[in-house]
Amino acid sequence: MHNKSTHRFLRPETVTAVCIIVVAAGFLIPTTELAPLSALLPAAMLVGLILLAIAMMISDQRKASAGEEAKPVVKSPKRVFGAFCLIALYCIAVDLIGFYPSTAISLPLVAYIFGYRDLRGLAIATVIVLVAIYLIFSVSMSQEFPIGLLWAE
Amino acid sequence: MQRIFKTLAVATAFVAVTGTAYAEYPDKPVKVIVGYSAGGGTDVMARTVAPFLEKYLGDGVSIVVKNVPGASGQIGVTEVANSDKDGYTLGTYNLPGMMARTLDRKADYDASSFTYLANVVNDPNVIVTSKKSGLDTMEKLLAEAKANPLAITVGMSSLGGDDHFLLNKLQTMTGTEFTIVPFRGSAPARTALMGGHVAMGILNISEVSAFKDEINVLGVALEERSEFAPDVPTFKEQGVDLVNGSMRGFVAPAGLPDDVKTKLIAAFDKLKDDAEFKAAMSATANPVQVVTGDAFEALNADLLDLAKKVWKESPWR
Amino acid sequence: MYSDLIQSLPDVLAWANLAALVIGVLAGIIVGAMPGLSATMAISVLVPFTFGLEPLVALGLMAGIYNGAMYGGAIPAVLLRIPGTPAAVATTFDGYPMAQRGEGGFALQVAVVSSAFGGVASAFALMLLAPPLSRVTLLFGPAEVFWVAVFGLCSIIFLLGGNVAKGLISACFGVFVSVVGSDPIFGNDRYTFDRLELLDGIHIVILLVGLYALPPVIDLLESPLKTENSAGDHLGTEPIWRTFPRMLRFWKTWIRSALIGIWIGILPGAGGSMAAFMSYNEARRASKTPETWGHGEPEGVAASETANNADTAAALIPALTLGIPGTAVAAIMLGGLLIHGLQPGPMLFRNNPDIVFGFMWQFLFGAILLVFLGGSLATNSFAKLLKLPRPLLGSVIIVLMLIGVYSIHGRMFDVYLMLGFGAIGYVMDKLKFPLPPVVLGLILGGFAEENLRLALRIGRGDWIVLFQNVTSLVLVALTVAVVVGPMIKKRIVKARKTEGKV
Repeated sequence: MHNKSTHRFLRPETVTAVCIIVVAAGFLIPTTELAPLSALLPAAMLVGLILLAIAMMISDQRKASAGEEAKPVVKSPKRVFGAFCLIALYCIAVDLIGFYPSTAISLPLVAYIFGYRDLRGLAIATVIVLVAIYLIFSVSMSQEFPIGLLWAE
Repeated sequence: MQRIFKTLAVATAFVAVTGTAYAEYPDKPVKVIVGYSAGGGTDVMARTVAPFLEKYLGDGVSIVVKNVPGASGQIGVTEVANSDKDGYTLGTYNLPGMMARTLDRKADYDASSFTYLANVVNDPNVIVTSKKSGLDTMEKLLAEAKANPLAITVGMSSLGGDDHFLLNKLQTMTGTEFTIVPFRGSAPARTALMGGHVAMGILNISEVSAFKDEINVLGVALEERSEFAPDVPTFKEQGVDLVNGSMRGFVAPAGLPDDVKTKLIAAFDKLKDDAEFKAAMSATANPVQVVTGDAFEALNADLLDLAKKVWKESPWR
Repeated sequence: MYSDLIQSLPDVLAWANLAALVIGVLAGIIVGAMPGLSATMAISVLVPFTFGLEPLVALGLMAGIYNGAMYGGAIPAVLLRIPGTPAAVATTFDGYPMAQRGEGGFALQVAVVSSAFGGVASAFALMLLAPPLSRVTLLFGPAEVFWVAVFGLCSIIFLLGGNVAKGLISACFGVFVSVVGSDPIFGNDRYTFDRLELLDGIHIVILLVGLYALPPVIDLLESPLKTENSAGDHLGTEPIWRTFPRMLRFWKTWIRSALIGIWIGILPGAGGSMAAFMSYNEARRASKTPETWGHGEPEGVAASETANNADTAAALIPALTLGIPGTAVAAIMLGGLLIHGLQPGPMLFRNNPDIVFGFMWQFLFGAILLVFLGGSLATNSFAKLLKLPRPLLGSVIIVLMLIGVYSIHGRMFDVYLMLGFGAIGYVMDKLKFPLPPVVLGLILGGFAEENLRLALRIGRGDWIVLFQNVTSLVLVALTVAVVVGPMIKKRIVKARKTEGKV
């Protein structure tokens, strides 16, 4: 996400195209071990991806030569990256310390970090969501949520 | 809310006291891991068996079914193999699938990973043909297969399953060759057969009993005729000694304490003569054949040998 | 048969069964409306629970949820551009632009009326024509189904958006995701990296939640301040009796889309999303003003919503008569039937007429109930929910996404997979890669491959098997017409224009 970069090889579309080519080529390696008919469709798709990514890169580079400025992809990369990390962290927490504790912590935390500062509102929302989930899923549907790998043993 | 907590506290205290006083199996709920989604054939079997097992294990024990679906039951059965050896985790077990998977795929369990409790269902294979094909007897089918090798297309549910093994037996016994068309599951195979897109199908009797008027059922792979379709002759009657089927039963991890094992097997043994149980099972299309303990283990070993033989002669992947 | 139909009616109207249906429809709307939760997940959670219920209560719940969720999915699709269910993807095309224009209320009313129309038509097809329609299903063997899938894949062309290369990259990505898992014929692993969780392939809900729900959530967090044209703020809802006359001009689209939905429903494997995409394309092709489509044309919402509800009951036709479910949800419902000792097949209608026909009535009543339960009441309460402060809304949706994905198979692996797709989806969204081709590619790619290879096995490797009967040839002709037709039309129009100028 180098939104301010002016270098033509760091334009977002070019970087994406290179990533697609590298990943698709990487997937071609296990493809060679498959039976011919098994490999047909995946190989066709991977080769297709590589060719299309090359086409995309060429057209993007042409634009660069024409002096067209690449549009910034995100408004604030830090916030995006932070949001994604928080979501990932929440999922890992659910796995490790269990669904209810991590939801009780992260639901208000995420909302607070991203600008909702009304503590009373946060508390009410957290309680409503947790109780609703508990009643619907755990009580009436007897669904099991992760209890946490840390406590499991 | 408070009342619930109180009863809970009392109940736990009670369990703790009785638990230490008797410490006899079972003193807490028994979990049965089903390797398929809720509503699948194996799941329905497990849930139908559960109340009867509760009755025969006694002590007011409750059986909790837990679905761990995925990879044709392999995820669930692996979890069973690795669970605590205390008799509080059992699992459903499918044959020959579970043993075949140890051959054609990397599996984290083998035949020695389990305590074999009971096989409960034996769903025998049947050979069926489409009305369009005109092959309405075993004789005609075999004659056609000999005259035109590979010309007959056979729909079945997958490679490396009971239907595949039956076809393999048939081919070796009669010196014939067929073209296998492995669908995903038996219902699509049956539909293709009814539409005449394949000529022949290998299914299980529970899957065809509702469709007897739409397809020709040539024979059943049992020693004696099945009560599900008493008018269908066995292959033995027709001079081909084919006995094969899909089995569903219950296992526990290997190394169960002896008293627990005895108690569980005794409970399963009682299913053999329970008329109510048989009625409940046939209502959900499960042909019952209860085989417990050592006999089940021997059955498992036989099927593993068969799978090994087929795998060696004609690996399917 | 039709006397059985009438005889089963009193049972359906017994209050417990009726209550189950009402609860089901409400629950379905809510589940569908929650980004991250899907009908597939709701019904699979419900199935073990129905073990102890009376058959008609259990089936009423399921029929209600199925119908309700198919409409409910439209609510976040219109208001947030997050399709609540896979089948609501096509609803976002015009629904969201309408909401941005302040016509979200009207979009939702169109959605609910169209959903009800599709549901009623589908229920009638199931009640009156199930046996003859199941004969149609039998005509479709692997070769024919392969052509249906190709037909569907060709409709991707119309979803490519501005940049063809990007659209095709999306489609290739979707098809590639569909091949992960065990090979359809040999069963050997493809790209599973020894993870058993990947063996059955990647569930559509995981991909959908990752691609469609995660990027908007991040957007909700990225710009915490309320933006002026936030969609949920101004719904512009008028009473439905006043807006209804404005919808009557969609009658052609309603009928066409209902027929497409029913047709796709009786073909096993394709499902509501394909029905919605196809009917959207057909409706746009038939429209006199195709240029307004994609910019808030209410008829687009009508097309997609009619078709995805018309798919519901129709998907049960092959499920009940042949045991092959038309959609993923129908597959789970089949399990629910099995639990109650109801074996699919021709005998089912003879052995258990009260329950089977009662179930069909429930589909009909469920569809009608949609208008009353899903009308202004539900829409307005959801619109209020969406007025929650954006960071709070975002973090609640994150929790729902986790529940929705986790509950499908009960494992965290799927949640991590969803996160991965979310990251990909965010980049795609920002770089303007169209997302619908990914969804269609995933649904139809593996489906086409499986049937092609089955057909080739039946033909013993000879490709001629694909062109051997009338049904196949008709489908090939249709596909060619759909792909080539618009190109020729464009040429002619262009030629005429230049002529006119000269």
